[in-house]
Amino acid sequence: MTVDITGGSSGAATKARGFLTWEKREHLVKLAILILAAVLSFATRLFSVLRFESVIHEFDPYFNYRTTRFLAEQGFYKFHNWFDDRAWYPLGRIIGGTIYPGLMVTSAALYRLMWLLNITIDIRNVCVFLAPFFSSLTTLVTYALTKEIHSTGAGLVAAALISIVPGYISRSVAGSYDNEGIAIFCMLFTYYLWIKAVKTGTIFWSAVSALAYFYMVSSWGGYVFLINLIPLHVIALMFTGRFSHRIYIAYSTLYCVGTILSMQISFVGFQPIQSSEHMLALGVFGLCQIHAFVDYLRSRMPKDHFEILFKTLVSSVISVVLIIGTVLTITGKVSPWTGRFYSLLDPSYAKNHIPIIASVSEHQPTSWSSFYFDLQILVFLFPAGLYFCFARLTDSNIFIILYGVTSIYFAGVMVRLMLVLAPVMCILSGIAISHLLAKYIKSVDAGGAKLASESKRQHKKLEQQTGGVKSEVAIGFVSIITLMLIVYTFHCTWVTSEAYSSPSIVLSARSHDGGRIIFDDFREAYYWLQMNTPEDARIMSWWDYGYQITAMANRTILVDNNTWNNTHISRVGQAMASSEEKAYEIMRELDVDYVLVIFGGLTGYSSDDINKFLWMVRIGGSTDRGAHIKEKDYYAANGEFRVDKEGSPTLLNCLMYKMCYYRFGQMYTEGGKAQGYDRVRAAEIGNKDFELDVLEEAYTTEHWLVRIYKVKDLPNRGV
Amino acid sequence: MWKLLLVAILAINHCNAVLETDANTLVLLDNLAIRETHSIFFKSLQDRGFKLTYKLADDSGLLLSRYGEYLYKNLIIFAPSVEEFGGDISVERLAQFVDDGGNVLVAGSEKSGDALREFASECGFELDEEKAAVIDHLHYDVSDTGDHTTILTSALNLIDAASVVGSENRKADAAPLLYRGTGLIADKENPLVLKLLTAESSAYSYNPEQSVSDYPHAVGRNTLLIAALQARNNARVVFSGSLQFFADESFTMAVQYAQNGAFFKQAGNRAVAESISKWVFGESGRLRVASVRHHKVGEKNPPEQAYTITDPVVYTIAIEELVQGKWQPFKANDIQLEFVRIDPFVRTFLKQTKSGSYEARFKIPDVYGVYQFKVDYNRVGYTHLYNTTQVSVRPLEHTQYERFIPSAFPYYTSAFSMMIGVFVFSFVFLHFKEETRAGKDDKKTQ
Repeated sequence: MTVDITGGSSGAATKARGFLTWEKREHLVKLAILILAAVLSFATRLFSVLRFESVIHEFDPYFNYRTTRFLAEQGFYKFHNWFDDRAWYPLGRIIGGTIYPGLMVTSAALYRLMWLLNITIDIRNVCVFLAPFFSSLTTLVTYALTKEIHSTGAGLVAAALISIVPGYISRSVAGSYDNEGIAIFCMLFTYYLWIKAVKTGTIFWSAVSALAYFYMVSSWGGYVFLINLIPLHVIALMFTGRFSHRIYIAYSTLYCVGTILSMQISFVGFQPIQSSEHMLALGVFGLCQIHAFVDYLRSRMPKDHFEILFKTLVSSVISVVLIIGTVLTITGKVSPWTGRFYSLLDPSYAKNHIPIIASVSEHQPTSWSSFYFDLQILVFLFPAGLYFCFARLTDSNIFIILYGVTSIYFAGVMVRLMLVLAPVMCILSGIAISHLLAKYIKSVDAGGAKLASESKRQHKKLEQQTGGVKSEVAIGFVSIITLMLIVYTFHCTWVTSEAYSSPSIVLSARSHDGGRIIFDDFREAYYWLQMNTPEDARIMSWWDYGYQITAMANRTILVDNNTWNNTHISRVGQAMASSEEKAYEIMRELDVDYVLVIFGGLTGYSSDDINKFLWMVRIGGSTDRGAHIKEKDYYAANGEFRVDKEGSPTLLNCLMYKMCYYRFGQMYTEGGKAQGYDRVRAAEIGNKDFELDVLEEAYTTEHWLVRIYKVKDLPNRGV
Repeated sequence: MWKLLLVAILAINHCNAVLETDANTLVLLDNLAIRETHSIFFKSLQDRGFKLTYKLADDSGLLLSRYGEYLYKNLIIFAPSVEEFGGDISVERLAQFVDDGGNVLVAGSEKSGDALREFASECGFELDEEKAAVIDHLHYDVSDTGDHTTILTSALNLIDAASVVGSENRKADAAPLLYRGTGLIADKENPLVLKLLTAESSAYSYNPEQSVSDYPHAVGRNTLLIAALQARNNARVVFSGSLQFFADESFTMAVQYAQNGAFFKQAGNRAVAESISKWVFGESGRLRVASVRHHKVGEKNPPEQAYTITDPVVYTIAIEELVQGKWQPFKANDIQLEFVRIDPFVRTFLKQTKSGSYEARFKIPDVYGVYQFKVDYNRVGYTHLYNTTQVSVRPLEHTQYERFIPSAFPYYTSAFSMMIGVFVFSFVFLHFKEETRAGKDDKKTQ
């Protein structure tokens, strides 16, 4: 394929016209479109790298980067057995057993491969460009999947759509090195192989599909969606009377091989046979056996005998299953529904019960505007695509319908699942567009109008055209669709450039004269920590910054983005929300040397620690030891959260407030405002003159974004 | 001639009593006459090897440190009436001196100046009001002039710590201590203050020239005569309310209780003052950790990365005490080791293996994380010995688990028999052809 790109597809195309047959020319055009889509999907994700640098941009990916570096340097066995004593002090974290290693293994393998070929690339660059690379692969696999489901034309349109869809770009720009970057590829690839297996009914395809599933499991926790969707497909096929030996073979093989393989990932462990999220798959596997057995009996028995047998069998099986299920749930063998899953079904569940889940912004319900923002015209084409699928129902169509309907529900519940929705939106919209164009372009052609470039793809349809629509209407329709697609392209590029390519590790703002100001305070602070603190210094910060501190400053931290221990995070939340004296006790208990806070009051950076502070209070107060921390103490008399004079005294004297606003009362931040004017909260702070008793300021970055405090020792002379 | 030789030998011996690095001592005086009235005390210091530099407390050329390095390790302030120190020295500077590890011996009197009061409050105690003196109507010396301020206090009122007050001095039949001066009050909040010497229960501190109208600040045993502070960095400060306590007169005078007439040839002051000066300037009661080693049982060195859970581990710590200017092995049987991860998981006594070397053997708990070996030995009169060593404890590696568990053999059997069964079945199913039956083809194509 790459040869074709470098050879210049346009040159080849002109030459081809002379002597290539119609099929070959069509093939060439297909190839050109696909390659262009793949290249485009890579290129459009490079804004952030071109504008800033080739670095990891977000909070979470710093951990992935660190582990990848470890894997590349130390090898897989060291990685597998890695016990990290730098994170979660003093608990430590077994990294090998608590991550999905697919991402790291992929990058390390690519890295090794490159070096084998004497391409001496840095591991950091592999990590930075992995997500764009995999979105190119996603483009290709989307084509393959849509082609299996519908037609080549739909596949090409879907590939073109997915290459620039913002919902997917948001998680896969260069520098965002996260599991989702490769997981979407794995997911679509598994679907593709599953459809293949369903269509052919061979063990080969379903085994390959199980391997793809294994890759998916190794790379993202979202595999749960996949292992529920496929059984759902099988059930749907059963109810529609489409169950056959093909389905039986495909599913049984996939389930057995896939489950055994997925249990090899130590983080997943025995979940596939214990947790209730996987029970649908198990149940459907059992159902498949019963269905096949019943079919067998039916073919061998007289009808009335069969009826009796069937009825007794059904009633007894249902009661046995119910009893076993209850017993296992009561004894705890089958783990109860975990919080994250509840929050999918009931959006208010997490908010009411588990603050640590609700505090993550990507777990919030999706707003309507963000559907349009992330998907644009796909929102309108999606139902059309669904309609066309219903109109011509096949085994594979049912699958894509189910995928579309379930994922749109989940995307509505949680913002981050927009990612799962985006591909199916593209596929269904691809089907819709290709269907409509195929229908109308024929009429355009009949009118003798010039072909749009899309029409070539529809060549086969042209041969058997029947007409039926007026040429003018057809031209109008086609041009509207073309216009919509062009607008879509512009929208996607704009969104990518403006919204999804700004890293959170380096911030930028516009100055008065329109120039770009760069705030590089995070890295400044982390390098300060690395250069000026002892090797084994322990740093307390809110968990958002944990991964970055370990990866960039190489220091021990108390809590990080892997929020596995709620109590420990709660302890840090309590320290932040308490008065200095109480906080000092906690900090001594946890051997804290330095405290790091993010403060945006000077620059107007709104996602700083004061704005996250209520979450610290909620999480801090959610455990037994933090029972004295009550959220309402931190609200002003009228129930607002405010930092000015009206604010609650508890807030104005807690550790977090003091650390953020220490010496801020003497600062002029904005013209025409008093000293100590906070630009984020748009208020003059309420408590200006105070000294710190148990902390001393160690470092504050240029724009005050990061402030680091040293925890003082006990007073030497005891007073 | 031989006397001279003896003196020379004694002098050499005495020079060893204090470490060379700790010898430089600055003495601040109200007036140079104090040098003469307290000559025995100064002489004993010099005999033990201290290099004394006498200065007036308000000398404008006073210098504690030069180019960021302290010129003196120890400081004696026998200048009760000083209102403000001269030269480089101020109360803040003195506090800084203590925080940087310097030792200070201060003596006040009824007429203590502001400088001493402020310094006292920096160290966690308070001098009573001006002109207030400790008065005891039941235990005063016959030499008293009528105010009952020349008091005698029993040696049993000394703190129960041999390294501070000497092992011989705190006895029921020991001579009482002669004291004339103001009372001290300890800050209750401060956990580091030591009450070296308290007054008798019948004493109180008040201005003897006035009738008692308010409740006195210090009453009975709460009236401190000599107080000490051992800071967290092990710098020592001793504060006496009486300069007279260290005077030649008190060292040599015969004392007699005026009430019951008990007579002693000599007051106990001399021995106690010398013991206290030994302690405050770090000649006695000083401990240090000479070495810390830890490793798995049967190995020599600690593991490179981390211990594994349930490893048997040996922890050895060598502790030394400064005796006569030499670091000697320290002997005790109450030293404890803790193995801490937020809370102590193991707490055990250290056993002395050879002199001064202590050892503990235990099994690391079955919980992974970052632990600290912590020895926290805090005894009155001794240096606060605090030593932590951080180690990581990792869970088992994937290869360290048992490969076959006996209790799971039924499951192994069932798994393998199932595998064999499936293999045999599929072999038979694929290769066994039954040609007689006709219905079979239908089923296959279904």
